[in-house]
Amino acid sequence: MKRDKQTKTEVRLFLVTQWEKEQEYLQRRHREGWKFERISGLAVYHFTRCEPEDVVYQLDYHAEGGKEDYVQLFRDCGWEYLQDFMGYSYFRKPRAAMRGDEGIFCDSASRLEMLQRVFRGRMVPLLVVFFLAVLPNLWESVRSGGEDRAVLSFLFLILFFVYLCIFLSFGWKVWQLWREESR
Amino acid sequence: MDAHIKKVYVPMTETGFYILLCLQEEAHGYRIVQRVEELTAGEVRLSPGTLYGSLSKMEKDGLIELVREEEKRKVYRLSALGGQVLALEEKRIERLYRNMREVQENEAR
Repeated sequence: MKRDKQTKTEVRLFLVTQWEKEQEYLQRRHREGWKFERISGLAVYHFTRCEPEDVVYQLDYHAEGGKEDYVQLFRDCGWEYLQDFMGYSYFRKPRAAMRGDEGIFCDSASRLEMLQRVFRGRMVPLLVVFFLAVLPNLWESVRSGGEDRAVLSFLFLILFFVYLCIFLSFGWKVWQLWREESR
Repeated sequence: MDAHIKKVYVPMTETGFYILLCLQEEAHGYRIVQRVEELTAGEVRLSPGTLYGSLSKMEKDGLIELVREEEKRKVYRLSALGGQVLALEEKRIERLYRNMREVQENEAR
């Protein structure tokens, strides 16, 4: 972590399903006087010094991200558009400009639809890679054994667990939303 | 009206209903937000993510039509199909209201 007076960068990894955690993280930083500027690389967050303020950050996953009419509607509703990154659009709005609690979604149906977009955009490709590359390769290297393949087996084993974590966290997310919806 | 439309939109979400109700006149997204705030005295405030998603889906399903673009804002209007769906919803909501009153009156007796 690099630190000077006016700017800082932080490396934070969030799974594709952890946008709520990411929103909370950005909100927390803003409350501490660090305003989010942009995200770059894989997970490098850039901040600048600011007055501590309660600002709500929201992420939407959308193929339309960045499109003029899409951004304009959010602007009209008082949300500042920050950037698009890996399919996610970043927005923020100061709590002081809100009446009560406010988010970019106002019902469970649309939250569920966002989850579906994440699933189609990110999970489907992952599942394809998982079943067509990770699983067969893991199976192959374990079956053939041999010292020379130990490293490869280990790598595929790690990949296997990373993928498993992502799938489980996605399943957990769906379960949470489903519970919310049926409450 | 095909079975798919009926299954998806009857009954529909509050957001969906207000969109169709408002789009009997041409309007862009934010105009719908304002109109709904007026109608409900601020009790229902549509969020942009929800609204954008509903508008896109309704346009794709042919319930609403794009009239024109006005300074980056898409102006929509109800289509004939949208009108039929709205009429179905209105009937359903009238029935709900009627039944609610009937049951309440019976209990009051």
